[in-house]
Amino acid sequence: MGDISKPVRRFDAPEKIMGTARYVDDYFEEEMLFVRIVRSTRPRARIKSIKLPKLPSGYCVVDKNDVPGENRIKMIFDDWPFFAEDVVNFYGEPILAIAGPDREKVYELSNAVKIEYEDIPPIYTIEESEENKRPPIFGENNLFADYFYEKGDPDGAFRDADQIVEEEFRTGFQEHIYLEPQGMIAKYEDGRITVFGSMQCPYYVKNALIKAFGFPEDRIRVVQTTTGGGFGGKEEYPSQIAGIAAFCAYKTGKTVKLVYDRAEDVEFTTKRHPSRIRIKGAIKDKRVVGIEVDIALNAGAYAGLSSVVLQRAMFAATGAYRIDNVRVLGKAFATNIVPLGAFRGFGAPQAIFAIETFMNHVAKKMGEDPVRFKLAHRYKKGDTTATGGLLRSEVRLPEITEKIIEMSEYYEKKKQKEKDGKLYGIGFSMFLHGCGFTGNGEEVLKSIARLKKRKDDKVEILISNVEMGQGPQTTLRKVVAQVLGIPMEDVIYENPDTDKVPDSGPTVASRTAMIVGGLLYRVAKELKEKWKEGEEVVVEKQYRHPEYIKWDQSTFKGDAYPEYSWGANVIEVEVDPLTYEIEVKKAYAVFDLGTPLDKKIIEGQIHGGMLQGIGYATLEVMEFENGRFKQRTITDYIIPTAMDAPLFETDLVVEPYKNGPFGAKCAGELTLVGAAPAVCAAVEDALGINLYEIPIRPEKLLVLMNKEDN
Amino acid sequence: MEGLIPESLDEALEALSERKFIPIAGGTDLMVRYKRWKNLPPSFPSLPLFIGHIAELSGIEKKDDEIVIKAATLLSEIEQSPLVPSILRKAISQMAAPGIRNMGTIGGNIVNSSPAGDTLPPLYVLDAKVVLLSKNERRCLFIYDFITGPGKNQRRDDELLYEVRFKVPKHTHEMYRKVGTRKANALSKLSVAALASSRDGKIDDFRIGFGAVAPTPVRVKSIEEKVKSRHVSELSDDFINEIVNEYGEWIKPIDDQRSTALYRKTVALRLLRAFLLQLKPV
Ligand SMILES: Cc1cc2nc3c(=O)[nH]c(=O)nc-3n(C[C@H](O)[C@H](O)[C@H](O)COP(=O)(O)OP(=O)(O)OC[C@H]3O[C@@H](n4cnc5c(N)ncnc54)[C@H](O)[C@@H]3O)c2cc1C
Repeated sequence: MGDISKPVRRFDAPEKIMGTARYVDDYFEEEMLFVRIVRSTRPRARIKSIKLPKLPSGYCVVDKNDVPGENRIKMIFDDWPFFAEDVVNFYGEPILAIAGPDREKVYELSNAVKIEYEDIPPIYTIEESEENKRPPIFGENNLFADYFYEKGDPDGAFRDADQIVEEEFRTGFQEHIYLEPQGMIAKYEDGRITVFGSMQCPYYVKNALIKAFGFPEDRIRVVQTTTGGGFGGKEEYPSQIAGIAAFCAYKTGKTVKLVYDRAEDVEFTTKRHPSRIRIKGAIKDKRVVGIEVDIALNAGAYAGLSSVVLQRAMFAATGAYRIDNVRVLGKAFATNIVPLGAFRGFGAPQAIFAIETFMNHVAKKMGEDPVRFKLAHRYKKGDTTATGGLLRSEVRLPEITEKIIEMSEYYEKKKQKEKDGKLYGIGFSMFLHGCGFTGNGEEVLKSIARLKKRKDDKVEILISNVEMGQGPQTTLRKVVAQVLGIPMEDVIYENPDTDKVPDSGPTVASRTAMIVGGLLYRVAKELKEKWKEGEEVVVEKQYRHPEYIKWDQSTFKGDAYPEYSWGANVIEVEVDPLTYEIEVKKAYAVFDLGTPLDKKIIEGQIHGGMLQGIGYATLEVMEFENGRFKQRTITDYIIPTAMDAPLFETDLVVEPYKNGPFGAKCAGELTLVGAAPAVCAAVEDALGINLYEIPIRPEKLLVLMNKEDN
Repeated sequence: MEGLIPESLDEALEALSERKFIPIAGGTDLMVRYKRWKNLPPSFPSLPLFIGHIAELSGIEKKDDEIVIKAATLLSEIEQSPLVPSILRKAISQMAAPGIRNMGTIGGNIVNSSPAGDTLPPLYVLDAKVVLLSKNERRCLFIYDFITGPGKNQRRDDELLYEVRFKVPKHTHEMYRKVGTRKANALSKLSVAALASSRDGKIDDFRIGFGAVAPTPVRVKSIEEKVKSRHVSELSDDFINEIVNEYGEWIKPIDDQRSTALYRKTVALRLLRAFLLQLKPV
């Protein structure tokens, strides 16, 4: 048996490096039609009239009347239409689409559509949505979700507190900027709809099309094409594109391509939810003994996945800390903004930023060192989580902290105030991430994984999870090959095609390695027993949560996740005293993500995740003004470049999860969630002020420091 | 897409004398400005005239006491040329990223005349002149007379920018600062280029230009005159405050998707103050 963690050459690397990988926009066919969406140019309005240009033959318009089944994208509440009906609820909402053979002409025709609107007073902010003074967008009070849970006796804790600390935090939008913009190709042949495209969740797309067409499931086929990044942006949104492409294919009988321009992708696809998080802490004997966390998410025009994003945020509300008296409130507010959606971390980055920054502030107030203060509150094995779940595995935060403090020379550097004429600061964060779907998600999904041993003794992995750069083409092959004791090259893992693979669930929630990989591990064990040379053997298994997991979805009580990964980050910054530009110089990370299935791939996840988190905390500014985003191109929406990346130093602590393959836990999202609070703590250290909001812009620091001076 | 690819400068000027074209050097501004939808060629307002390859439009030389840079010289060549003063090289080295600097030209940056054009503040403080050619005429203007507004300048439709020229200053102090949205491929929130020279405690030269803080780059010679010929010991706090306040009247930035007016103005003036303080004896 080899060491599963030892890096191997990635299976998807050669074609991506040589440029031979084919992404959806690389496929062409004779007689293919191109589609362009005509979008609302109002944030909120009633559609009064639509005037179409004269269409040459071969060109057609597709709109809400061309949806054979229900004009609703299947998600949780199913309130989001493929095409607007009478009312548009955000700038850029699809109203109709034009399909035709010549892109130039399609472009021209789509620009010639004239739409008359009657404006309805729009709602943009959490506050406007909360006040509910304008006609509500959703239900009677604009709330897509309104939740609450409690543990212990929070009221008692506040009553008996020595001191109560109350703070309010804000986080901004974040756009994914995957390298490959979204897109789909659709065909209608022999009574079947087939869709090819860039996606994370083939069965989400398939289920959305079943509902949209009202077809039985054997008349819908979805195939993933090589996907150039997702980060959650290709979790729910591809269903929107697949639907429109498929309606065009159905109406014309032609192969149809709908690929977004980068500008459309930046402005009109889902983004991370902005949040307002209020934390009230009851302090007794210098410790936080009670806490109330009130989370409000700006959820955009349609519910989408917001209710689950809110749940993850709420379950992460107390971070990595054991606080015995807890009250967590959560609301997801409807606004006239593009629907906000899945993004690496899924609610946790907002919650972790708030709780970490709160803990830093309380530590400072108590005159304590934040690292020691946090360690004093940390979870231990046998503790119950905020939702009352049991921590069954060792929580190795002390070891993680010790390593990172030593590696970063934290206390030495903490004394430093200046470096090369810049203001110097260092910050620490400690956090956890729940692995797999939130709450009862995995129970509902009941994922199936299958291995097919062929007559030629090669083994096919048959699952619906995708490679999007995060590495499963390599890691899952390694798992199966290692269990079976065969070379990795004898394991085949194609991009999933719903005609061939069972539904092993979506490629989200850091679940692929731990949940699906764990399932594959057990399938492979069984296949090994049934192995017959030269014969075909198929083994399939359905996922079951471990028996000991207890969860009540109606009260949010119990084990919100089957297992947790843990981590600590240290960030060093230099702030220019004249311009307040922030330079993130060094980033340190120590994670316990169980057994790494490939150390190089994990290293990649750490660098990428942390850099995305650093961008979230600093450069990635997206402002909403007068119904539109101000930053709507990649010239203006700024993500870090290689030049902005710090030097990374990383290490791992391994506490294996017995149901994960070879002990693997979750990794993909964990690497992002701790960066922003560490950056914030470092900037606070450099400037000697408290901050409550990300992104931390030099513009904002200037205003704060001017106040400080006066 | 249609366009004209002239073989020589004369052919290009001949073509321009006959009808309106849009000259394209590196295309790094134009391709972005006129882009439409994915996989479609950009739509230019008039027929493109490709000039980037014309040999007569490229090169850097020293003529008498002047440095002459031809308009279609690549940004990356200027960045690397030892003939070019460091203030301009520094500015160029912080523009875009190597790929764009290998396509983009100095002429493109000048004629684009964006308030955020990064070669402009250094060219303003170098008192650079631009030479424009048409079929029958050659004109030479100071760069600050050439640029008249955001994206606006004195170029006539029948003219090409031929070269930019300036004397190499003999200065003792220099500052270049670009405050961008990030470290590479970033447009300026603001930028400052400054030169000064002090000999025996006397300030005999002082020039400062600001980018992205007003409709055109800002250089105010009347204020520079007040600093010039002072003795460094006269740079009192009061005097520096007075100079900073006077520049404050000229720096009129806007709020946009990159930054705020308040930030641009405050930081521009802070950098000015920092430069004045550099001239003071320690
Ligand atoms: C990713 C990216 C990053 C960038 N970063 C920066 C930056 O940091 N700082 C910055 O200042 N700019 C930046 N730019 C803008 C651009 O690269 C520069 O302005 C560059 O100098 C333009 O040169 P060009 O030759 O490509 O111009 P073109 O696009 O070819 O032309 C620009 C304009 O000048 C005219 N023109 C060009 N040459 C002549 C001539 N000889 N005679 C008459 N008219 C002429 C054209 O007609 C057009 O109006 C960036 C652009 C991109 C795409």
